[in-house]
Amino acid sequence: MDRFFYRLECFLKGQVSRKTFLKILLGGLTSFVAGNAFLKYAFAKSEGSNGRISRGITGNADIIVAKGVDPYRNTVEAVKGIGGMGKFVRKGDTVLVKPNMAWDRTPEQAANTDPAVVAALVEMCYASGAKKVNVLDVTCNNEKLCYEHSGIAAAVKEKGANVYFPDHWNVVKAHFPYESPMEGWPVLRDAVDCDVFINVPVLKHHGLTGLTLSMKNLMGVCSGTRGMIHFNIGRKLADLTDFLKPDLTVIDATRVLRAHGPSGGDVNDVEKMDSVIVATDPLLADMYASKLFGKPPMEISYISEALARSPEKKDLAKAKVVELST
Amino acid sequence: MKVKKSVIFRRSSQVFFLLLFLYILWTTTYPLKGAFNADMFFKTDPNIMLAVALSERTIVAGLVLAFIIPVLTLIFGRFFCGWVCPFGTVIDAAGSLRRKKKALSDGVNARIRNIKYVLLAVSIAAAVLGHQYAWVLDPIAMMGRFISINLIPAVTGVVEKTFIFTMRDLGFRPEWLYSFYRALKGSFLGVETYVFANSAPILAMFALIMAFAAWVPRSWCRAICPLGAIYALLARYALLARTVERCTQCGMCSRDCRMGAIKDDLDYVKGECILCMDCVYTCAPGRIRFRFLPARGQGGHKTLVRQGGKGAISRADFILLMIGSILASGLKWAFKVPRKLIRPPGSQDEKAFVDKCVRCANCMKICPTKVLQPAFLESGPGGLWTPHLVNEIGYCEYNCDLCGRVCPTGAIPRLGLEEKKRAKLGLARVDRAKCIAWSAGMECLVCEEHCPVSHKAIKIDNVIVNGVVLGRPVVDEDLCIGCGICQNKCPVRPQRAIVVDPQK
Repeated sequence: MDRFFYRLECFLKGQVSRKTFLKILLGGLTSFVAGNAFLKYAFAKSEGSNGRISRGITGNADIIVAKGVDPYRNTVEAVKGIGGMGKFVRKGDTVLVKPNMAWDRTPEQAANTDPAVVAALVEMCYASGAKKVNVLDVTCNNEKLCYEHSGIAAAVKEKGANVYFPDHWNVVKAHFPYESPMEGWPVLRDAVDCDVFINVPVLKHHGLTGLTLSMKNLMGVCSGTRGMIHFNIGRKLADLTDFLKPDLTVIDATRVLRAHGPSGGDVNDVEKMDSVIVATDPLLADMYASKLFGKPPMEISYISEALARSPEKKDLAKAKVVELST
Repeated sequence: MKVKKSVIFRRSSQVFFLLLFLYILWTTTYPLKGAFNADMFFKTDPNIMLAVALSERTIVAGLVLAFIIPVLTLIFGRFFCGWVCPFGTVIDAAGSLRRKKKALSDGVNARIRNIKYVLLAVSIAAAVLGHQYAWVLDPIAMMGRFISINLIPAVTGVVEKTFIFTMRDLGFRPEWLYSFYRALKGSFLGVETYVFANSAPILAMFALIMAFAAWVPRSWCRAICPLGAIYALLARYALLARTVERCTQCGMCSRDCRMGAIKDDLDYVKGECILCMDCVYTCAPGRIRFRFLPARGQGGHKTLVRQGGKGAISRADFILLMIGSILASGLKWAFKVPRKLIRPPGSQDEKAFVDKCVRCANCMKICPTKVLQPAFLESGPGGLWTPHLVNEIGYCEYNCDLCGRVCPTGAIPRLGLEEKKRAKLGLARVDRAKCIAWSAGMECLVCEEHCPVSHKAIKIDNVIVNGVVLGRPVVDEDLCIGCGICQNKCPVRPQRAIVVDPQK
C-alpha cells in the first residue's frame, strides 16, 4: 500500500518514469478496449426480425372499389364493403397507417395520398377500438415540409392520430427464411411491431417502375440508403411485402398523377379518377390499380416478380371485385 | 452594503438581451414563427450594415435600423456595450471567472484602446475600396455565428444523443419517455443533423477571446471591437456624463474599472465608459453620479474639456493604415482562388456575394436540409465561413426560400418562392463511368425520381439490354436548376455518379 501511495505521489508530482508511463499507457488502452467490448456486449444488440406477424384476415371480397366525388365517403364505403374496420382492428390494438407523404407537394399535385382518405382510415380505426394509430413516412424531401404541405399531418391530427417523424435509430434488421437481397435491411421498428398495418399508397406514375403502388409504398418504412433498393427493385419489393405482410391495402386513386412521377408538380399531369381501392391482398390491389391506370400489370416489375413466386397463381379475372358508387 | 440598484438594472438588461438573442436564433428554424425575424439584431449593427452599404454602394434594406443605436449613443454614451451587447455579456461572464482582476497601467490602456480605431479604419478603408471586411471582428456576427454553429448544435446534439442512449442502448423505453422525445423532436430539437463543417475554427476564435477576457476584463471591448470603436467615437459627445464632486483621491474607481476608462489621475475617458455603474457603488463616499449635460467643470474629475489628440489617430498612423489596406486588398486579389463554389439561390455573383456576406450564420442555421455549410478556404481566404452548398450533406429544398428571408444584408436576396424555384444554382452532370445505369446496366434512376422540377430536368434514355428496357439518366441543361437533390440521393459511393457543378 505504501508503495502504491509512493507511486501515486510520484505520479501527481510529475515524476513519471518511462516504465510507469508505459504501464499507464498499456493499462489505459487495455481498460478502454475491455470497457468498449463490455459495452458492446451489454447494450449494442442488433435486433433482428423474421417479419411482421399478420393475423391474415381476409375480407368479404378480394377487391372493393368505391367511386364518387368525396374521397372521405369513398374510403368509408369501401372499407365497409370489405367487412368494416372492426374485422381488422381489435380493441387495444396499435395500428400503423402508412400513407405516401414522401414529397413536399400539395394534395392538388397528387404526389401524396389524399389527406381525407388517411383521415377517414384513422377515424375508423379509433371507432373500432384502436389504442393508438401511428401515422408516419420516411420522406424523400424534408420531413417537416412534407408532413405539413401534404396536408396529412394536420388532417389526421384532428382525428387524434399520433403523427411523428420516424427515428432512424429505432430499427430492426430484416431476416428472411430464404436468400434475399433485402437481408439485414433496417426497417422501422414501429412498422414491424404494430398489430395492424394499413398501407395507404397513392396511384401515380413512376419513372423506374412505371407505377407507384402499394408495394412501392412500403419503401417508406425502410431506413438506410434507400436508393439501393432501386437496384433489382422487383425482387426487393416483393421480399419486403412478404416481410411486412400489410393487413389492409387502400389505394388512393382520387387524383392520379399520369406523368413525371413520382414527385410530379404540374397539375396538368393530374387526372381525377375519384376512386378508392381496398383489398386485403397487396398483390391483387396493385394488379387492379395498374389496370385502372391503363398499364398491363405484368409490365410492373414488382408485380410480375411477386406473381411468379406466389404458390396460387393470382388472377385478376378470377378475383371477386365489387364496385360501389357513392 | 449599498443596494446596487443600477448594477442590478444593468445585469438584468444584459441577461434579457442575451436571452432575446438566443431566443431569436433558436427560433430561426423551419416554420419561422418566432416573434422576431432573425436578421433584426444584425440590422441594428452599424458596423456591418454601413460597411456593406459602403462597399457595395447600395442601400441595404433596413439600413435605417443601423442608425437607432448610434443616435441613442449620442444621448446616453456607450450604453450598448455595457447594457445590450450579447457578446459583451458573455465577456463579462468570462471576466468574472477570475476574482483577482489584472489592472493595466494608464500608458498601456491608452495604447491598447487605440488599436480598435485602427482596425475600424482598416475596415472602412477597405469598404471604400469595395471590400467588406467588417465581418472579421464584428461582435454581433461573431456571437451569432458561435450560437448558430457551435452552441445550438452542441446542445441539441447532446440532448438527442442522451435520449437515444437511454432508449436504444440502455433499453429503457417507456411509453411516456418516447412520447416526450417525439414531442421534443417535433418542436424543440428539430430533425436536422446538427453537425457543421469547419465549426472548430469558429469555436476556437470565440474561446480565445473569452480566454483573453478572463485574463483582462473586457479586453476585447477595450482593444479590438470595431463596433465599440464606432460607439466610442460617438460617446465622446454624449449628453450623459460622469461627474465627481469633492473627490478624496482614494483611487478605488480607477482600480475597479472594467474598461480601464478611469485614469490614474482619476479623470475618465468618456468614449471608453460603458456605463457599467460599478464606480458609482465603488466610490465609498458616493460622489460619483451620471448626469445629463453636466455643467462645465463637473464632468469627469477635472473639467469636461476635449482631450486633443487623446484616443484619436495620428496622421502618421493614418497614412500607414491606408498603405496597409491597399496592400491587404492586393493580397486578397493575389490569394483569390479561381475555383467557384455553389452559392445559395440568387447569390451567383461570387464577388458581390462574398462582399455582402457578414457570416452571421443565419442562413446555415435555418436551412432545413443543412446543405448550407460554412466554407473554410475553398474560395480563398476572403470567402472564409461564407455559406456554400455541400450536396453530400443536403440539397436545396425546392419549396423553400428561408435563407433569403433571414439574411440581414441581402447577400442572399429575398426572391420569393416562385422566383427562387427558377433560380439556377449550378448544373448537374452525370458521370457515366460511375453511374450504374450507364456503366453496369443496372436499374436505378433514383436521381430522376427525386428531381423536383415538374417536367423533370433528368430525362430517361431508354435502351434495351438483354431484352429488358433499361432507363439511363440524362440531364436536361435548360430545365436543371442545380438544387443538388440528385447528387444527395444518388446511391453510388464513395463518390456520387451525378454531381452539381457551380455555374460558369
